[in-house]
Amino acid sequence: MKFTKIRYFLLLVLLPAITFSQQSKTKFSISGIVLDKETGESLIGASVGIVGQKGLGTVTNSYGFYSVSAVQGHYQLTISFSSYKTDTIEVELNKNLTMQINLSKTTALLEEVTVTSRRKNDNISRPIMGVQKLSIEEIKNIPVLFGEQDILKTLQLLPGIKSAGEGNGGFYVRGGSADQNLILLDEAVVYNPSHLLGFFSTFNSDAIKDLTVYKGGMPSEYGGRLSSVLDIKMNDGDNHKFRFNGGIGLIASRFTAEGPLNKDKGSFIISARRTYADVFLKLSKDTSINKDILYFYDVNAKANYKLSDKDHLYLSAYTGRDDLGLGSIFGINYGNLTSTLRWNHVFNSRLFSNTSLIYSNYNYVIDITAGTNNISITSRIRDWNLKQDFQYFINANNKLNYGIDVKRHSILPGTITASGTSSFNDVNLQKKLSLESAAYISHEWSATPTVNITYGVRLSNFSALGPGTFYTYNDDGTTKDSSTYSSGKIVKAYTYLEPRFAASYKLREDKSIKFSYIRNVQNLHLLSNSTGTNPTDLWIGSSNNVKPEIADQVSVGYYQNFKNNLYEFSAETYYKDMQNQIDYKNGAQLRANENVENELLFGKGRSYGIELFLKKKYGRFNGWIGYTLSKSERKIDGINNNQWYNATQDRTHELSIVGIYKKNDKWTFSSTFVYYTGNAVTYPSGKYTLNGQVFFYYPERNSYRVPSYSRLDLAATLQGKKTKKFDSNWSFSIYNALNHANAYSINFQVDPNDPTKTQAVKTTLFKFVPSVTYNFKFL
Amino acid sequence: MKKGNSIKYIFMAGIVLLFACKKVITLDLSTAPTTIVIEGNVTNEQDPYQVTINKTVGFYQSNTFPTVSGAIVKITDSTTGITDSLTEGKAGIYTTSKLAGVIGHTYLLDVIAEGKEYKASSTMPKQVTLDSISFLTTAAFGKFNTNAVVNFQDPPGVSNYYNFIESFRNIPPKQIHVLDDRISDGRYISRQLFNDSTINHRDTVDVEMQCIDKNVFKYLEELSGQDATNGQPTSPADPTSNITNGALGYFSAHTTQRKSAVFK
Repeated sequence: MKFTKIRYFLLLVLLPAITFSQQSKTKFSISGIVLDKETGESLIGASVGIVGQKGLGTVTNSYGFYSVSAVQGHYQLTISFSSYKTDTIEVELNKNLTMQINLSKTTALLEEVTVTSRRKNDNISRPIMGVQKLSIEEIKNIPVLFGEQDILKTLQLLPGIKSAGEGNGGFYVRGGSADQNLILLDEAVVYNPSHLLGFFSTFNSDAIKDLTVYKGGMPSEYGGRLSSVLDIKMNDGDNHKFRFNGGIGLIASRFTAEGPLNKDKGSFIISARRTYADVFLKLSKDTSINKDILYFYDVNAKANYKLSDKDHLYLSAYTGRDDLGLGSIFGINYGNLTSTLRWNHVFNSRLFSNTSLIYSNYNYVIDITAGTNNISITSRIRDWNLKQDFQYFINANNKLNYGIDVKRHSILPGTITASGTSSFNDVNLQKKLSLESAAYISHEWSATPTVNITYGVRLSNFSALGPGTFYTYNDDGTTKDSSTYSSGKIVKAYTYLEPRFAASYKLREDKSIKFSYIRNVQNLHLLSNSTGTNPTDLWIGSSNNVKPEIADQVSVGYYQNFKNNLYEFSAETYYKDMQNQIDYKNGAQLRANENVENELLFGKGRSYGIELFLKKKYGRFNGWIGYTLSKSERKIDGINNNQWYNATQDRTHELSIVGIYKKNDKWTFSSTFVYYTGNAVTYPSGKYTLNGQVFFYYPERNSYRVPSYSRLDLAATLQGKKTKKFDSNWSFSIYNALNHANAYSINFQVDPNDPTKTQAVKTTLFKFVPSVTYNFKFL
Repeated sequence: MKKGNSIKYIFMAGIVLLFACKKVITLDLSTAPTTIVIEGNVTNEQDPYQVTINKTVGFYQSNTFPTVSGAIVKITDSTTGITDSLTEGKAGIYTTSKLAGVIGHTYLLDVIAEGKEYKASSTMPKQVTLDSISFLTTAAFGKFNTNAVVNFQDPPGVSNYYNFIESFRNIPPKQIHVLDDRISDGRYISRQLFNDSTINHRDTVDVEMQCIDKNVFKYLEELSGQDATNGQPTSPADPTSNITNGALGYFSAHTTQRKSAVFK
């Protein structure tokens, strides 16, 4: 069995290389990297094409690498990238060439007039669906709460990506739950992407280079979550000169230093940010306040070094922690630590390889002191991950991507350490080990000048491993059986073949339709007692009781660009079928519970919708309108009489409008407007009395709606005088400028003024919050 | 410390204090078909014991709940085999005449009301002695809050479930304080009874400690979990009742003891 699997895998990896090696012999290739001329940062997703050649040409990969090939001859190579000047290079192709390409930024940012060359129609012709990119430039101009630039919050302005609400770090993609998003920072999984219990994201936008989100149609190199992949790449650092920049905001300050390590050989960057609300707490004379702790910080660091023309090393690390404490009574400290070591190797001008060793860790520590009670609670998830990825640029019409991905998960569900006088016993829940591995292959193929296809498979395996005691349960919740496994023994293994298919058909040069089908399998599940996300939510792996979640998604879309690609329009519809979805028994005890798997209920889900997106890409005025009409439902055995019900994240309508207006070199204005139908929610359909108290009657799950949400945010950026050495700007913003009282929560209670009545009380968090941030840069 | 969740609520409470505003709103809430609500108790105190039967009403109706009269209500001590047929005094309140609550005995409730039969069973657990009531004052976000603390020795090796009913300053009880010894077995337990209202100096606090059985504990715990004050809108659900046939409420055989203390 094992042997055949390996053989199958080898076949997958080697077959394409063998078949294509024949036809590529007569051709020569041009390969290299595309860089920002000024900073030396590699550009991800830049288009490289040969004029007059049929086929797509190529786009640079995550490391800025490209490779195109053609038969011997004289060619023009065009290289283009959003907000950069398009470059055209004459090439005499009579041998394999290596060429580094430097693009310079358009001086007047996004100005219509300067873009004279024909813009690329990549969004039309490439068979990628449900993919959205945000440029850091856009993110920096969009207003946010307290002026803290936040890539996750900005992402939620795109169709199909929904905010889980204010004060909630989670987001929902196409009807999936918050734990169904794979969030990668330089390939490392970030298990908790939020700070301060969800008000801010863990990503300091100063450290981020590129952000891509896949809502569907994810390439086969990604796997492990049902709904989306959020692939975030950190900046490499300027390899020409040292630079410092930073910002001072209302709640946090940021600082970044970057520079070359050895002229043109390598560079480093380090970015840090910290909030300082706690500094103000300390100033208080009130002893009940000045002992409180409330802060978070992030540090992103990255270095890269070119060992040779063929080898490049990258080392990146991220750590961020939250520390919240109420005097000496209570404290929680939580955060992520990730690091990634990568080695790019160019075997030849057509074969690019990357090897990554990745570490990812999330943990929390809670300390409680109340009277004689003195306890400490810890929990942790830790991954070691080895990835080997090959990109084989066969010719202008064919590209192969294949590799393997092996992760070892180690989860400590919870440890309670109690003092002798405490009311609690020590608890040590068993450590859970598992191995998640995958082999994948994907073929990008320009079948005809109008038809492009990407297809592939991901073969995934998840094995829950010993040591440990594993239980099975009866329907009535009692323990049926238990078996003990020794170290390394497989308790339960799940293997799935996940097909990925996407095709585009060009109706005209600026018009296309696309189709995609994907299957995703998820083996890590987040257990949460509330609809929000908590730092203490628990990750569990698939096991003998918990089956992998599976999603099959079909989507169809129409794409059109107008006015020489000034406008971009897309309409995508999708239908997603989800199996083995997880919910909880009434009053489920998820903490410090060895039998937590016995608290779960399982069922299925379905979601479908249409997403419309119109974007003006260039000009003094640019921005977008996104609209989503969707439905998301669940059917869980044991909930709502086993009938379909609306998932919490089900929202019928969702509208977002983003406008950025660059008035002149001094002022840039921007605004966003968001409207959405409220979440599906359970409200009482009656009340009753027990023991003199009034309680509410909840016969149906999620049959009501939170009142609809709307918000207008405004921002203005004032560019300071730019000198050769110094650049600065002031950024002013107003969150919820129309003062709309959105519901953060709605509670039901007996009317304090009239005990014969009950009432619904709406809590609103943020109304009209102004903020100001000062940003500076030493050039 | 209702473990992790309250953590979030404490901080949310802080943020809510800083930014939030509250407003009473009117929601379009439907009224579900009327459902029967049964509450029955047998204790180790002197009889009689009562079973109350009433019905649900719509959310925006007044807090007067229609009583259910003319039901046939019986409680059987399955250990002794004695069955007591309860008699209705005030409308909807049924009272025992000969039953005595004994620790360790299992009691069966049988109700026939409006053509449907409802059954439940509950076993009176061993009593655990409540030693004392003390007080603990804590500070958070500029507010001092004093709560009562119950102190008692949990017996090792057995599962125990507790319910505390606290009252002071004639404030009607708003919180349900239930506790199990899942992670406290055999410990000397000092437990704060968290409350919205702080206890003031010279307040007399009365606490009733009940030792309840597992099903009643689960019922009350789920009931208390419905309250999402200061939290995210969770998905509340009706608690799992130990009464059959879709009735709301519970039937509990429990021990009772009371203690008072003055906060000085």
